[in-house]
Amino acid sequence: MGMRITNEQADTAAQSAVSAINDRFGGSDVSATVEHHANAYKMAFVRAQVPPQHWTAVAKYLRFDLGVNYCSMVTGTHYPEGGPERGWEVAYHFMRQPVIDQAPHTNTVHVAEALKGDAIPLEFEIIVTLPQTESPSVPSVQNIWVGADWNEKETWDLVGIQFEGHDNMHRVLNPHDSPEGFHPLQKQHKIRYHDFNEMYDDAQGFGRKPTDEGRVK
Amino acid sequence: MAQMWITMGPQHPMTHGLWTLRVKVDGETVVDTEAELGYIHRGVEKIAESRDFTQITPYCDRLCYVSAMTWANSYIYAAEDLLEVEVPERAEYIRLISAECQRLASHLMWLGAYGPDIGSLTLMTWCMRDREMFLDLLQELGGSRMHYNYPRVGGVKRDIPVGFADRLIAKVKLFEHRIDEYEMMLDESTIWLVRLQGVGYAKAEDMVNAGVSGPNIRAAGVNYDVRWAHPYSVYDQVDWEPAVEKPTSVKGADCYDRYRVRMEEMRQSCRMILDAIEKIPGGKNTNYANGDEMILAKAPTRAPEGASGFSNYECTRGASQFYIQGGGDGRGKNPYRLSIRSPMFITIPYVAKTMIGYKVADIPAIMGSFDPCIGETDR
Repeated sequence: MGMRITNEQADTAAQSAVSAINDRFGGSDVSATVEHHANAYKMAFVRAQVPPQHWTAVAKYLRFDLGVNYCSMVTGTHYPEGGPERGWEVAYHFMRQPVIDQAPHTNTVHVAEALKGDAIPLEFEIIVTLPQTESPSVPSVQNIWVGADWNEKETWDLVGIQFEGHDNMHRVLNPHDSPEGFHPLQKQHKIRYHDFNEMYDDAQGFGRKPTDEGRVK
Repeated sequence: MAQMWITMGPQHPMTHGLWTLRVKVDGETVVDTEAELGYIHRGVEKIAESRDFTQITPYCDRLCYVSAMTWANSYIYAAEDLLEVEVPERAEYIRLISAECQRLASHLMWLGAYGPDIGSLTLMTWCMRDREMFLDLLQELGGSRMHYNYPRVGGVKRDIPVGFADRLIAKVKLFEHRIDEYEMMLDESTIWLVRLQGVGYAKAEDMVNAGVSGPNIRAAGVNYDVRWAHPYSVYDQVDWEPAVEKPTSVKGADCYDRYRVRMEEMRQSCRMILDAIEKIPGGKNTNYANGDEMILAKAPTRAPEGASGFSNYECTRGASQFYIQGGGDGRGKNPYRLSIRSPMFITIPYVAKTMIGYKVADIPAIMGSFDPCIGETDR
């Protein structure tokens, strides 16, 4: 029969991780909360807002004290109209995976419902908000999670967020000879047909208006 | 002899797609490697910013042309998190069955492509034969062999056709015997064992730290599967257990372990499908009309600004993740930002580094055993 982490386990794990973060970083601007997904099983996860100056300390705490060993994804977002305090945002997704060093001829067989404490897989969403600036930058966590390496390369390549201290930064998805300062996911770059109506006005597009033009669904 | 750089790719049988592996060799030994990606970067993340939530599904199909169904499902779960949709249970069962059929087809594609890497062309013809069974089944659902556009926000496009269940059961039961045939053919082939055993060691801890996921870490003895660790769909209600291999060396999993874990995973997928089709709510031979509340829930089309959705999904190559921020387009009909985490984008640079120390002739064996797919890597 299949198994799964129960909602109570995820709640307990998220709750203890949140109180650990808030205890350790109370007084600074770091704030963590327990959130729940709205899909499928409505599992709990940890969301934390971290100012960039505390990010390295928080990252080390997550990695070495809370056992968050898996860097899943790094997402940069550009908010040109987000006000002076919020011009850019970097969202990190981490997973805690219960992994121990493997001896030969063994495997870590888990019964999901029996996992306790730090062995419960848990999802972390860390949001670092950056002010409105021409050259956004956050400290790199490449040395803390190897998995952050190419994620950060991609985020710089596509969004243009600098990662201070990142070793060997280069283009990964765009061509190597892309113009300096060209980061296509910044909001000033529009793709052709950004608005669906543009397609109808273009001679190379449909060249005609839809019959229900003006009626916004 | 002096060391020199060799460029393997973008057109090379080892690459399984379009990318370049630059290898520094000292005689026959690999001393350094560099991966270069981005040859088929299509900018799906940017395109998605000007599309409705339903319009994005076909783009997600095309992220990986070998496992379109799992990628579309992965996106759909993120969209459902963002739009706060409750999915009918029958739709969840159909999604499970379709995703597991896709996993079988994808693993067969992997085995079929891996055979010629090792020198067994027969394997490819056998695997293509069996993969066709599952593509036929998926075609009955989505209407197309490869890009189905099947899941919808809130359910699935249409119900399983009448008679689908019988064909599914017959094919899956036949395929269970075929897995035995493959194992008889491969596990007793000296060439297969010599090329795979003791080659391409990767340790569990290193792989997790580097962000490798899915069958590749389960081959190293780590029982970590998104299907139970970050549950979605109805995997807790059907009969299965995660396929985990026991590595035979302190150095971790070799290519043979990774081959074994995928064979076992195919067995588990068969087991899951056979159980799910019997347990499906509403009956396996009923066909509900398109849009019936048994298979499709009403879903909003707009997401409020500041809302975000996230999904973690066990794709055929590892954990695929989508992160969507709502509130684009001024009206909230589009994502403001859609971000895709591809398991292979993280894995390929890691695998390139594990090749150091092996011979040039081992490169195809190592690379193929990780099941690279460049469509999802470059997005």
